Amino acid sequence: MKSGVKALLSALFCILCLVLGVVIGSAGLSLADTFSILGYRLFGLPLPEHISNIAVSIMWTIRLPRVVAAFLVGAALSVSGAVMQSVLRNPLASSYTLGVSAGASLAAAAVILSGVTLPLLPSLTRPAAGFIGGLMTVFLAMGLAARFDRNMENVTIILTGMVLGLFVNAFLTILTALSGDHLRLLVFWQMGSFGDMKWHACGMVGAALAAGLLVFSCFSREMDLMTFGEEQALSAGVELKRVKTVLLLTATLLTGAAVSFAGIIGFVDLIVPHVTRRLFGSRHRATLPMNALLGGGFMVLADLIARTVMAPRELPVGAITALVGAPFFAWIYFRRRGGARRD
Amino acid sequence: MIELENVSAGYGGQDVVFDVTCRFESGVNYCLLGPNGCGKTTLLRAMSGLIPHTGGILLDGERIETMPRRKIAAKIAVMSQINTIYFPYTVYDTVMLGRYQHMRRGPFGGVSARDRQAVEKCLETTGLSDMADRLVSELSGGQCQRVFLAHTLAQEPDTILLDEPTNHLDIKHQIELIDYLRAWTSDGRHSVVGVFHDVNLALRLTDNMLFMKDGRLQSGGKFDEIATRAFLADLFDMDIAGYMTDSLEKWKGVR
Repeated sequence: MKSGVKALLSALFCILCLVLGVVIGSAGLSLADTFSILGYRLFGLPLPEHISNIAVSIMWTIRLPRVVAAFLVGAALSVSGAVMQSVLRNPLASSYTLGVSAGASLAAAAVILSGVTLPLLPSLTRPAAGFIGGLMTVFLAMGLAARFDRNMENVTIILTGMVLGLFVNAFLTILTALSGDHLRLLVFWQMGSFGDMKWHACGMVGAALAAGLLVFSCFSREMDLMTFGEEQALSAGVELKRVKTVLLLTATLLTGAAVSFAGIIGFVDLIVPHVTRRLFGSRHRATLPMNALLGGGFMVLADLIARTVMAPRELPVGAITALVGAPFFAWIYFRRRGGARRD
Repeated sequence: MIELENVSAGYGGQDVVFDVTCRFESGVNYCLLGPNGCGKTTLLRAMSGLIPHTGGILLDGERIETMPRRKIAAKIAVMSQINTIYFPYTVYDTVMLGRYQHMRRGPFGGVSARDRQAVEKCLETTGLSDMADRLVSELSGGQCQRVFLAHTLAQEPDTILLDEPTNHLDIKHQIELIDYLRAWTSDGRHSVVGVFHDVNLALRLTDNMLFMKDGRLQSGGKFDEIATRAFLADLFDMDIAGYMTDSLEKWKGVR
């Protein structure tokens, strides 16, 4: 199949996921109703009589932001996972394995519990905390890795990140156990949820995603070269240290923003990049935008499952991504093993 | 031209190469030879700016540590053993990546018609034209090495530094690679500096030799002028000339 056709199919899949995400749910609104509400809210078009104000409010303040946020978070996690895998030249690397998610969620949890807000931009508090927390974990992991291994081999970075991630997670667990009133919120948030997404969250994650994609598109060739090895990249003319720093920071920003709103959602940043590479090849110029599309669509679908399967009870979306993701990942991985002559 | 003045280099503050002074003229091929751990690969890595060094390394008169990577890449390319391929690219894309230092930068920078021509020419010289759309991960070791050769040639450097690139190749592909490189340098404008284990393979590339032992440069010059039986025996810690002539006797007996 031509990659143009595949891209078109992916876009259709993505749109289908979004439509399903918006239409399916407890308010019982049809697709046409949804468009009427959109037209009413966005362009001031008259609202058909059979749609109540409550329905408008549910759609506009709960359902739509939730679906959009799920899409953006899925896209951000997938793109940053793909970048981490390429930069660290390891198919098992992700913001999860580097400890970024753990650091970001600890910082965000601290903000939630303490009730601290930034003076001028209170809505920026959580993503800022998430970014700083994620960044600190990455720096700490890199610093420790440099002490253990002067050449900063990628395997050392990943192992250090995993150990540090588990360590930081322990603090999060302790914090959760001691949190009393906030216990439910924190527990649920640790498993990932799009339950209380507002439009401003969409704005934040969307801005981070746009900035990230712009930066990554400037460095797509560098990333291509880096997947062949650091010395190959250097010898071809890449300013490796600078590029690697910029890329890891940007990937951390994406993960930090996503995690600080939606909590920890695993597997997406691991599976989606692999699936996308299988479909569209390894070239970053093609694969990164597709990661955003497929990752976003997948997350909307996962969230849809999480909130409908046992409705009105909601399942943590992280559990859904893992339930779907783990077997899928194993299938991809072992199929690849069987097919490839060299690994 | 690459000039080394009292170069020492190593890893993690521990020098492996000591006080090397020598000069590689442009348009001339050289081989670095010596036993395992003599520092020949380390010297090569320092010469390409991959690891830090003390002393002076000058590329056409300019100090390498002050040069941006793109400028180094315009003069020097490094070709080493095949690495593990995690994420497969097509042959064409892999070779095109060698054009990196020629490409415009930024989000809309990219491939020019000249880049495409250069890549097609490299594919042709290495006999890969009909494999351009195959994935590198599907190729055999010998084909893979040819892809990386084409990738290196597409960079259009003045000098290729070879770091034992033939390690995983069978004898046919080893010879093939050396012959490609000899053809590339036959125009007198390009040169290859290679690190080899195999003295015979080195001799097929050139008879300009630099011998190293224990991190120091022992001597350099034409093979037949400096490589006496005693010198080689001392360098490699075994009677290598005797071994070679013994083998030759056996080969002469092959019908």
